[in-house]
Amino acid sequence: MIENGRTAVRTEDVWKIFEHDGMAVEAVRGVTVRIDPGEFVVLAGPSGSGKTTLLNLFGGLHRPSRGRVWVDEQDISDLSEHDLSRLRLMRIGFVFQAYNLLPILTALENAEFSLLLRGVPADERERRVRALFEKIGIANLDDRRPSKLSGGQQQRVAVARAVVGEPALVLADEPTANLDSAASGALLDVMTQLNEELGTTFVFATHDQELMARAKRIVRLVDGAIASDQRQ
Amino acid sequence: MMTRLGLLVRLALRNLRRQARRSVLTASAMVLGLALLVFTRSIGDGAHETWIKAGVRLASGHVTVVAPDYLPRRTIEDRLRAAGARAALDALARSDLAPLVEIAAPRLELRALASSPRGAVPVVVYGVDPTLEPAFSQLTTRLVEGRALLASDRLHAYVGVGLAQRLHLRLGDRVVLTAQGADSTIADQLVRVAGTFRSGLPEVDDGVIHIPIATAQAWVGVGDDVSAVAILLHSSRDADRVVRSLTAALGTDGTAVALPWPTTTPELDSAVKLDDYGNYVFHFVLLLIVALAIVNTILMAVLARTRELGILRALGLRRRDTATLVLFEGTLLTTVAGLLGAALGLAVTFGIFRDGLDFSAFYSGEMTAAGAIIDLIMIPEFRLDHMLQNVVWIFIIGVVASLYPAWRATRIEIAEAMKFEG
Repeated sequence: MIENGRTAVRTEDVWKIFEHDGMAVEAVRGVTVRIDPGEFVVLAGPSGSGKTTLLNLFGGLHRPSRGRVWVDEQDISDLSEHDLSRLRLMRIGFVFQAYNLLPILTALENAEFSLLLRGVPADERERRVRALFEKIGIANLDDRRPSKLSGGQQQRVAVARAVVGEPALVLADEPTANLDSAASGALLDVMTQLNEELGTTFVFATHDQELMARAKRIVRLVDGAIASDQRQ
Repeated sequence: MMTRLGLLVRLALRNLRRQARRSVLTASAMVLGLALLVFTRSIGDGAHETWIKAGVRLASGHVTVVAPDYLPRRTIEDRLRAAGARAALDALARSDLAPLVEIAAPRLELRALASSPRGAVPVVVYGVDPTLEPAFSQLTTRLVEGRALLASDRLHAYVGVGLAQRLHLRLGDRVVLTAQGADSTIADQLVRVAGTFRSGLPEVDDGVIHIPIATAQAWVGVGDDVSAVAILLHSSRDADRVVRSLTAALGTDGTAVALPWPTTTPELDSAVKLDDYGNYVFHFVLLLIVALAIVNTILMAVLARTRELGILRALGLRRRDTATLVLFEGTLLTTVAGLLGAALGLAVTFGIFRDGLDFSAFYSGEMTAAGAIIDLIMIPEFRLDHMLQNVVWIFIIGVVASLYPAWRATRIEIAEAMKFEG
């Protein structure tokens, strides 16, 4: 049953089945979950437990085989590719494991990318990105290309890119996996700060113990199904 | 405010710049390809123009004004009346046509029998104006012996060298020309050989005689009537325009019609078209190579950037935007390379080879085709329409060659692309 009130993302009996060498592989099995605005949630579980697949279902990167997914109360299960693109642009921010900044753009241009696609005027874009860079401690890196940034700096730019459009939901897949512990800790500080100050909803797929320690809620997956859902 | 399209152009430019070496190498191939296209097409256009001019000089010009039924029988009954010839010449003197016309020469063409004490052979006798002929025909420059006709000549003939040999004629020898007169009686004309020519075309050298037009008109009793007004233009491309103007000027009373050279010399037109066809095949192969270079470069760029294109999609770029991005990359690369290639082609063609390519070392004797003597020095010709065609073609090639890579870009699955390590 769905509780009353607006959610950042929710699913109802959602399944994702892949065809692999003629075999049906159930990556996500009947997951029903709701994540409220402002939550800081970790999807945890061993490799192959379905964390990333569930995250991709939240982000409209996979379509459910069965069941339904809502983002910001919009049913995205059957949206067209065009509408999914618009949904990702307007309501979802992504942070990927391998930074995934565009190498041909500067840090500022990377961060303002979604605003640019939304048609936000240049001065407004710049103002918002600079304010965010200031907040997350990369104020002097505007004009640098990703190749001139450290891993931690790149991931902060990626976080800035994900949150600058004030999305309903930020999905982060192993955001600290490629960082050393210092950079990882600093990045988690940034995301915790953004969650607390801006109310940004974060959903992580991770093995990172430090990240799990900071999470307000941990949803554990085993074999594609929810094994536990704990708030802490 | 930067539009989505502006963003895609910026991304495309930066992607090309990022892979500068690959872009430059591909662009270089395209630049050379287009330069070669411009060069060969300009040489081809120049060669055709020379070829056409040579052909129509030996025939009846780029445009011919004749009586409506003159072709194909070419009989004296179907001659052009003096009034029609005058109307044509008056129209050609008008300010809109005069600049296009190199020379307009009335001619009287007669089928005749040429007799000497050693025999008789059928010939074509051209009554020509000796003052205009040097500017019109190449034959005056192909003198073997004696001289060409002069304005003061009355009973002189300029004879093909083969014909002179067949009739054992020497300079000053007399030859009797026999033809049907205007009144259907048989008329004779005695002329003396003033000179002989060798055109290189056997049918001309063995069977053509030039005599003054006044002599020819008096011989067959046609007054000031002629067979045709042969008009030589500065450019064959103006033929249709001159025909249209002359047709309007001559009216539709059925006394005279203006015909372009493809109608009066269809064999020459066919030969040019056949040569054009060969050139088109060559150009097609050239453009195909350029297209493959573009497909290769852009497709490699797409495959190498699978993850990046996945990121763009995850950030909200639509499928069609990724296709547009790839199309922009291909089209920008092609357009820039196309313009540089056109510039290089023009520079080489009209800077280095403006005086022509001399092929005479590769061919001994006269080169003839379709009733024309081919000049072995091929001078390039600049044609704006062909130049624009080249650029438009290369642009189209750029777009078409980018379609497959663009389609591939739209097929990228975002979640899969994120796993891509390329």
